[in-house]
Amino acid sequence: MKAFDLYSFYKEIQSDKILFCYSGPISHSTIEGIGHTLRLDLELGEVDFSTSQSVFSTFIEQMQNILNYSADIITKDSEIEKELRSGVLVIGHENDGFFVYCGNKMLNKDVGKLQAKIDSLTGLDKDQLKALYKEKRKQSPDEGSKGAGLGLIEMARKSGKPLEYVFTAIDGDFTFFSIRVVIEGKK
Amino acid sequence: MENLLIEKGKSSPYIFFDATSGVLTFQGESFPENAAAFYDPVIKWVNEYFASCGETGTTFEFEIIYFNSSTSKIFMSLFSLLDAHSGTGKKIRVNWKATGENETAIECGEEFKEDLENLEFNILVI
Repeated sequence: MKAFDLYSFYKEIQSDKILFCYSGPISHSTIEGIGHTLRLDLELGEVDFSTSQSVFSTFIEQMQNILNYSADIITKDSEIEKELRSGVLVIGHENDGFFVYCGNKMLNKDVGKLQAKIDSLTGLDKDQLKALYKEKRKQSPDEGSKGAGLGLIEMARKSGKPLEYVFTAIDGDFTFFSIRVVIEGKK
Repeated sequence: MENLLIEKGKSSPYIFFDATSGVLTFQGESFPENAAAFYDPVIKWVNEYFASCGETGTTFEFEIIYFNSSTSKIFMSLFSLLDAHSGTGKKIRVNWKATGENETAIECGEEFKEDLENLEFNILVI
C-alpha cells in the first residue's frame, strides 16, 4: 500500500457499507474490546434489540471458534500458534440486515471435519436446528476442547439462512477458512 | 456455609449466592474465555450448598442479557441438576428475568424450560 493512501481504502469500505473491520491477532481481550465497540455502534445505528443481539452473538461465536480452535491445537511451534490465533473480521450492512464475515487460517488436516460439520447444518429448518442444538447442548463436551461445539449451530439459528463458507488452500500446512453469516433485519 | 461472590467482569456476570437466604443471583453478560473453567467454582458451590443446606427453599435469580453457546451448555447442566433435586422434593425456583425488548433472552428461557420436568422455572418479563 502506498504511504498515506488510506483514503481509497476507507472509501472502499464505506461504499461496501462496512460497519467494522479488523485484521490481526485475536485474544479474549480483543473480543471483549471489539464486542463493546460493536454494541455501541449498533446502538447508535438504532438497530432493534434482537437483531443487534443476533449480530453480537454471531460475532462472539465466530471469534471464540477461532480462539478455541487455536487453543485445541497442541503445538510446540509458537509460529504456528501465532498464525492460528489471527483472523479477519468484517461486519457490514446487507439489505435490511447485516453480515458477519470472518476468516482465519487452519490446519489442512482439520478442513474435512469442519466442512462436514457445516454441511450437516445446510438444509435443516428452524425446528431441526433447534432440536440439534438442544441435543448437542446435553452432550458432554468434546475431550480436550474448550468450546461447547455449539457455535456453528448457534450461528445457523441466528441467521436463518445457510452458512456460506470458502476454504482457500494456502500451502502444504494451511488453509484459509472464510465464513459469512447473514442476519436479516426486522422491519 | 460461606457466601459466594464473583464481581462482574467484561465478559462474565455478577454472581452472588447467599447461603442463608437461599437466594442465588446471576446478573449481566456471559461469554468468558473458558466457560467451563469460569463456572467450575460456581457449580462446586451449588453442589456443596445442596449437600448441606437448601432444605427451606432456594431461589435462583437469572438476569442475563446475553450468554454465549458455551455458557448455554453450563446453564443447561445446572438446570438439569436443579431439576433432579426438585424431583427428590427440594423446593427450588428459577426466576429467569428479561426485559420485554430482549426477545432472544425470553426465547432462551423458554428453551431451557422445555427441557425440564420438575423444576419451577418462571420466565419474568421485567
